[in-house]
Amino acid sequence: MPDIQIPSIDLGVSLQLLIIFGGAMVLLLADLFSGEGNKRIVGYIALLFVVGAAAAGVPYWDAPRSTFNGMLVLDNFALTLNWIFLLSTAITILISLEYLPRQGIERGEYYALLLFALGGMMLLAQGTDLIVLFLGLELLSITLYVLAGFAYPRLSSEEAAMKYLLIGAFAAGFLVFGIALLYGATGTSSLAGIANKLGSGLAADDVAFMLAGAALVIIGFGYKISMAPFHMWTPDVYEGSPTPVAAFMSVGTKGAGFAALARLLLVALGSQYATWGLILAILAAVTMVIGNVSAVAQTNVKRMLAYSSIGHAGYILMGVLSAGSPAAANRGIEGFLFYLLAYSLTNLGAFAVLIALEQRGEAAWSLDDFAGLWHRQPFLAIAMALCMFSLAGVPPTAGFWGKFYVFTAAWEAGLQWLAVVGVITSAIAAFFYLRIIVQMFMRDPVREISPSLDRNLMIGVGLAALGVIVFGISPTPVIDLVQGSVLALSR
Amino acid sequence: MNMVDAVPLPWVLAVAAGLFCIGLFGALSRRNTVGILLGVELMLNAVNLNLIAFWRYLEPNVVAGQVFALFIITVAAAEAAVGLAMIIAIYRTRLTVNADEVDSLKG
Amino acid sequence: MNILIMVIFVVLAAFTLAAGVMVVTVKNIIHAALWLIASFFSVAAMYLLMEAEFIAIVQVLVYVGAISILVLFAIMLTRHVTGEGVRQLYKRWWIALIVAAALFGVLIVPTVFNYEWAVQPSGAQISIASTVEIGTAFMREYLLPFEVASVLLLVALIGAIVIAFEERSTRRRVLTLAEEVEQRRQRNESLRLAPTTHASETSE
Repeated sequence: MPDIQIPSIDLGVSLQLLIIFGGAMVLLLADLFSGEGNKRIVGYIALLFVVGAAAAGVPYWDAPRSTFNGMLVLDNFALTLNWIFLLSTAITILISLEYLPRQGIERGEYYALLLFALGGMMLLAQGTDLIVLFLGLELLSITLYVLAGFAYPRLSSEEAAMKYLLIGAFAAGFLVFGIALLYGATGTSSLAGIANKLGSGLAADDVAFMLAGAALVIIGFGYKISMAPFHMWTPDVYEGSPTPVAAFMSVGTKGAGFAALARLLLVALGSQYATWGLILAILAAVTMVIGNVSAVAQTNVKRMLAYSSIGHAGYILMGVLSAGSPAAANRGIEGFLFYLLAYSLTNLGAFAVLIALEQRGEAAWSLDDFAGLWHRQPFLAIAMALCMFSLAGVPPTAGFWGKFYVFTAAWEAGLQWLAVVGVITSAIAAFFYLRIIVQMFMRDPVREISPSLDRNLMIGVGLAALGVIVFGISPTPVIDLVQGSVLALSR
Repeated sequence: MNMVDAVPLPWVLAVAAGLFCIGLFGALSRRNTVGILLGVELMLNAVNLNLIAFWRYLEPNVVAGQVFALFIITVAAAEAAVGLAMIIAIYRTRLTVNADEVDSLKG
Repeated sequence: MNILIMVIFVVLAAFTLAAGVMVVTVKNIIHAALWLIASFFSVAAMYLLMEAEFIAIVQVLVYVGAISILVLFAIMLTRHVTGEGVRQLYKRWWIALIVAAALFGVLIVPTVFNYEWAVQPSGAQISIASTVEIGTAFMREYLLPFEVASVLLLVALIGAIVIAFEERSTRRRVLTLAEEVEQRRQRNESLRLAPTTHASETSE
C-alpha cells in the first residue's frame, strides 16, 4: 500500500476561506454559550471574522498563485470578488442584527449559515476546477435553502424555501450532467485543462459534443443567476424569504454564479466565443426586457426589486459575455466587476430600507407605504432615493458608471444592438424607480407606519448609500481596482 | 472478458441520457414534492452512470470519474436530507405536500 | 462470453429504464419510492459490470440504505396526504414529456451518432484504478473537494436540524398507531354525524 503523503499546501491562497469556515465553526460554539434572546453577540463575532478575512486578503494583491493541484487560485480577479462578497455579507449581517429578534426568528445558526454561504461564494470565485465549482455552488445553495426557510413557521418563508430547493436541485441536475459531458469530451475537469484540450484542436464532432455539455452547464448556472428563461422562481423566492436573506441572495448567488460562469466561459471555453457569444447576448437581451418590463407592473416593492434584479442579471451578463470577444476582453471584465460592486451595494441598501419598513406580522412594501417617507424619516428617504437613482443608472451614482462600463464593453465587442437594448430597458426601468422617489418626496403619507430604524440598520443603510454616492462621484479607486483585476485573468 | 469489449460506450451513454430525461420528466410533471425529489435523484443517478462509463471506457487508470461520482452522491445525500426535512416541516404546518398547493405567493 | 455480458447489460439497462418510468408514473408515491430503490440497485449492478466495485457499494449504502429510507420515512410521516386517490401529475404533464423528449433528442445525437470515442484498444491489458487509489486521491489531488464536501455535509446536518427542529414547548407529540386508529375512527364517526364539518378536521 502506498504511503499517503498530503501534498504541501500554500495556505495563503485559502487563508480567507479558512478564516470564514473556521469562523463559522466558532460561531456555532458561540451560539451554544450565548444566552437565549441575546444572539446579537454571535452576529458581532461574525462581523469580526468577515472584516478579518477581508484584511487577510490585502497582502495577496498582485501576487497570483494557486494551490491544491491548481484547483484553487487567488488572483486579483478572485480577490476583488472575495472583497465584494465580504462587503455584501458584512452589510447583510448589519441589517439582520435587529431584524431577527423583531421578527421573533433569532437563532445563532443564522450567522454561521451566512458564513458557510459566504465560503461557498468565495470557492466559486477562486475555484478553477469543475468539481470545486460544483461543490461550492451546492454549499452556497444548500445553505440558502435553509436560510430562505428561516422565518419558520411563516408559511410564505417555508414555501419560498421549498420552491428554491426544488428549482435548485433540478438546476444542479443539469449542471452536473453538463459537467459529466464536458469531462467525457475533454477527459479533464480542470478549466485550464479543458482550454488546452480545445486549443489543441478537437474534431468537429467532439466540439459539438462538448458544446452540448457546456449548454447544460450554462442552463444550470442560468437558474442560479436567474437568467431568462430560467428566472421564474426569483420573485416568489425573494418575496417569501426573510428580507435580509432575500437581499443576500439577490447579490450573493448572483455574484458568485457570475464569477464561476465568467471563469468557465473565459478560461475554459474562451476559444468557443463565436458559438456562445451570440446565444448569450440574445439571452441577456431577453433577460433585461423581461425583468424590467415585468417590474413596471408591480405594486409590491419587494417583488419589484426581485424583478429588477432579474433585469440587472442581464446587464451583468452583458459585461461577462463582452469579455469573451478579443476586442473588449478587458473592458468586459472591468464592467462586470464594477457593475457587480455597484449593484451589490445598491440592492443591499434598497432591501435594508424595506427592512426598516417591515413590522412584525405585517410587511409594508406596497408603493403607498412609501408615500411621504421623506416627512417621517428623511434619512431613509434619501438613502432609498440614492439607491433608486443608482439602480436606474442616473449620474452621479455608482450604478451609472456600472451601466456605462458594460454598455461600452458591449459596444466595443461589436454588440451594438445589445447596448441599445440595454439603454432602452434602462429607460423603462427608470420609470418604476422614479415612481418610488416621487411617492417618497411628493406625496403625503397614506397610512401611519412607524419605520423602525435602529443603530445597526442605520450603519448598514448608511454604508450602502455612502458607497453608492462616493463611488459615483469619484469612481477612480474602484476603476483602479477592477483594472488591476483584469490583468490577472488574462495572464 | 470485460464490458468494454462487449458493450459499446454509446449504449451506456444512451441509457444514462434516457434515465436523465425520465428523471427530468418526473421532476417536471409530479405535483408531489417527494415525487419531484425522486425525479431529481434519478437525474443524479444518470449523471453518475455517465461518469463511471467515461471513466471505465476512456481512462480507467485515472480516478477522476469515480471521485467525481462520489462527490455527487455526497451532494445528493445532503440535498435529500435538507429537502425531506423541509417537506416534513411544511407538512406539520400545512398538511399538504403538493407543490402547486404550496402556493400562497402569486406567481 | 462477450455475448453474455452484453445480454446482462441489456437486461439491466432495460430494467433500470423501466423502473425509472415506474418511478415517475405510478400513482402511489410509496410504490414510486420502492421502484426508485429497484432502479438504484440495477444501476449499482451496472457499476459492478464496469468494475467500479467501490462506487457500486457506495451506491447501495448511500442511495438505497440512506436516501431511499429517508424518502420512505418522509412519505410515511406525511402519509395522510401522499397516499392513493390524490392526483399525482400536473394536468399539463404532456408539456413536461415534450421537454424531456426534446432534451433526450438533443443529447442522443452527439452521444451516439457523431462521436468517435477514443476507446482503449480492446484486449489490451489495462490497469484499472482501485479503491486504494481512490483513497489516496482523496488525500492528494482531491484534498480540497474532499474538505469542501465535509463542510457541505456539516451544513446539511445543521440545516436539517434548523428546519425540522421545533421548540420543545410547541412540539407536537407523534401519535402511536393505536391512537391514530382511534382518532380516525372518531373522525369517521363525526363525518357521519356532521358531514359539513369535515373540512376543519386535521390530523392533529
